[in-house]
Amino acid sequence: MAPFTQTDQVNRLNTTAHLLQLHTMAETPASLAAVQVEALVVMKIIKHCSQTFPSTATGALVGMDVDGTLEITNTFPFPVVEVPAESHFDNAAPNPAAAAPRAKANAAYSGEMIRMLREVNTDANNVGWYTSANMGNFVNMNVIENQFYYQSQMNERTVALVHDVSRSAQGSLSLRAFRLSSKFMAGFKENKFTSEDLQKSNMRHQDIFDELPVQIHNSHLITSFIHQLQCPTTSASTELPPSLAALESSPFNKTSTLAPNLENMSLSIDPFLEKNCDLLLDSIETHNTEVNNYQYYQRVLGREQQKINNWKTKRAQENATRATLNQPLLPEDEWQRLFKLPAEPSRLESMLNTRQVDQYARQVDSFVSSSTGKMFAIKGNLLPNEVLK
Amino acid sequence: MDSFLHLARPLGPVSVGTAPTTAPLNVVIQPQAIFSVLDHSLRRNADQERVIGTLLGTRSEDGSEVEVRSAFAVGHSEAEDQVEVDMEYHKQMLALHLKANPREVLVGWYATASELNTFSALIQNFYSGQGDGTWPHPAVHLTVSTQPGKDLETRAYISAPVGVTAERAADSAAFIPVPYELRYGEADKSGLESIANAKDAEERSATITSDIESLERAVEEVLSMIDRVSRYVESVIDEETPASTAMGQFLLNALALAPKVEPADIERDFNNHIQDVLVVSYLANTVRTQMELSTRLATAQLTLGGGEGAATGEGKGNQRGKGNQNRRQDREEARA
Repeated sequence: MAPFTQTDQVNRLNTTAHLLQLHTMAETPASLAAVQVEALVVMKIIKHCSQTFPSTATGALVGMDVDGTLEITNTFPFPVVEVPAESHFDNAAPNPAAAAPRAKANAAYSGEMIRMLREVNTDANNVGWYTSANMGNFVNMNVIENQFYYQSQMNERTVALVHDVSRSAQGSLSLRAFRLSSKFMAGFKENKFTSEDLQKSNMRHQDIFDELPVQIHNSHLITSFIHQLQCPTTSASTELPPSLAALESSPFNKTSTLAPNLENMSLSIDPFLEKNCDLLLDSIETHNTEVNNYQYYQRVLGREQQKINNWKTKRAQENATRATLNQPLLPEDEWQRLFKLPAEPSRLESMLNTRQVDQYARQVDSFVSSSTGKMFAIKGNLLPNEVLK
Repeated sequence: MDSFLHLARPLGPVSVGTAPTTAPLNVVIQPQAIFSVLDHSLRRNADQERVIGTLLGTRSEDGSEVEVRSAFAVGHSEAEDQVEVDMEYHKQMLALHLKANPREVLVGWYATASELNTFSALIQNFYSGQGDGTWPHPAVHLTVSTQPGKDLETRAYISAPVGVTAERAADSAAFIPVPYELRYGEADKSGLESIANAKDAEERSATITSDIESLERAVEEVLSMIDRVSRYVESVIDEETPASTAMGQFLLNALALAPKVEPADIERDFNNHIQDVLVVSYLANTVRTQMELSTRLATAQLTLGGGEGAATGEGKGNQRGKGNQNRRQDREEARA
């Protein structure tokens, strides 16, 4: 009992600290610290995402929340159904799969599925959803809206798992867990993304997501299964092969054994860089559009203000003449009815875009660190004299 | 490796046209199906010896290969003399599953014990029957033994009807073992590797590694492999282990794979590529900084003296952004 109360206390301390920090927040902030994913879930997500690649795949996660660690124990994919775009952002891509997690039809589907899973003793709590990504391009309106829907409608303690198919194909699995930060949640709820609001809340692109560490967990049965997979019948073949053909066709020569995965030793630079350049160019374009929008807004705003000022001076002059003529004065605040100031465009899109570029840059960095190492290794190997010199 | 001899045999007294075919077939199992089965086995009720469930997957055109892709659990209870399978549940779950995976079909069922008994035959006949079953294709029965302290044993069967009367045939079946193969795709590989990382850990969990860490592990793996081979070669040279011409030939072939390239070519390619890599990295980070600067300036007007500061800041960011774009395009052109 002792350790439990201790963690409880720590949690409470964290909570108070958090509350002090954001004293306007009404709800208690979540204390989810980590995400633990079962091997089964990893495999199911990989299967679903790579099947539908390159289009987006989404699905639901079920599991349990154990003392701040979210254990994800099972998952099922969402069916892809055509849904009318209910987004209040016009530029959201019309991709039915990406919008699936918050579609009404799927709420019913996942409810039904979870009810079914409960009957066979699966942890029947909806704890989030997953999506596939291609080269880290997951920071978009759909993901935000889905996660917002989950965190506000379903359950506060939910996560979004992002599986990057193309990065995983390069050798190392890319599976990340994200939540929307409470700051962003509060802002998004009231759609407060004008410059003034952002100044007030001091929100940056780093504040959109909280990333949680992901751990992969195996059951005992899977552990023993994997151990069995890796050593295929060591009893039979300790004797030496009689011929080259026999050796080449022997089960030991097949690459189908589980480990080692030497995929990440291969050096393919150009496709990765090209794809990243394309994505970056797209982002720059988005950025320019946003900047132009904003500039247009400022020009219009300036013009309107000019008009208002003109009108005001005119009215003041008129009133001055009327005053000398002893006539009743005209109201001076009529301009509010006559002129309409344009609404400031939301800065959310450019904020997301910045976050996305941040993501790309980090991904390029990590790629560069490993590929330069590999390249120097190759050079050193093929030109041993160079290195000695 | 098990080997199989498949014999055609006379069928039982079943009316013509209803018997499923018993032609030989190959079963391919994907790892996530096995993982589902194992997960279900862990979640069985305390008093249950074994649990069963439905297998889904695809069947090749001629029906000679069945690929088991996923599985779901079905509740059932066994007593001394009767078995109850929740057929309603199976049907509903199948419908739900097919909604999300329209390409998969029912291919059979699994049980988590190696034993085959009368109940197995009953269930098998249900799954291979007409209507809801896999008819006219045979239903695959997969057994995965989950006995504690023993190796997991996987077996695949199809069945043929057997029995002298129609009543007997309904609750009996001759199970014919068929070969199976565990197959995983390229995409599964990285996932399985991460899972396998946890296999020796006490707490059975592993964190996801970054690119550079997995590269390090791969390099270590290769080094240990080279070590092993060179130990073997040394012991052959020292005449401690018997030599094998086949092995020598194989190693020689592997060594011959090293490419023969002119040093100048290597130098050129190396320089080209390293420049590409570094330039893209530099540009990506420049773009990131520019964008961050531009958003910061846009939301920090107060300290910069009103809207004008933001506007010029925006403009500057914009200009620089364009500059980047141009340079980038130049580079792309240069490469093409």
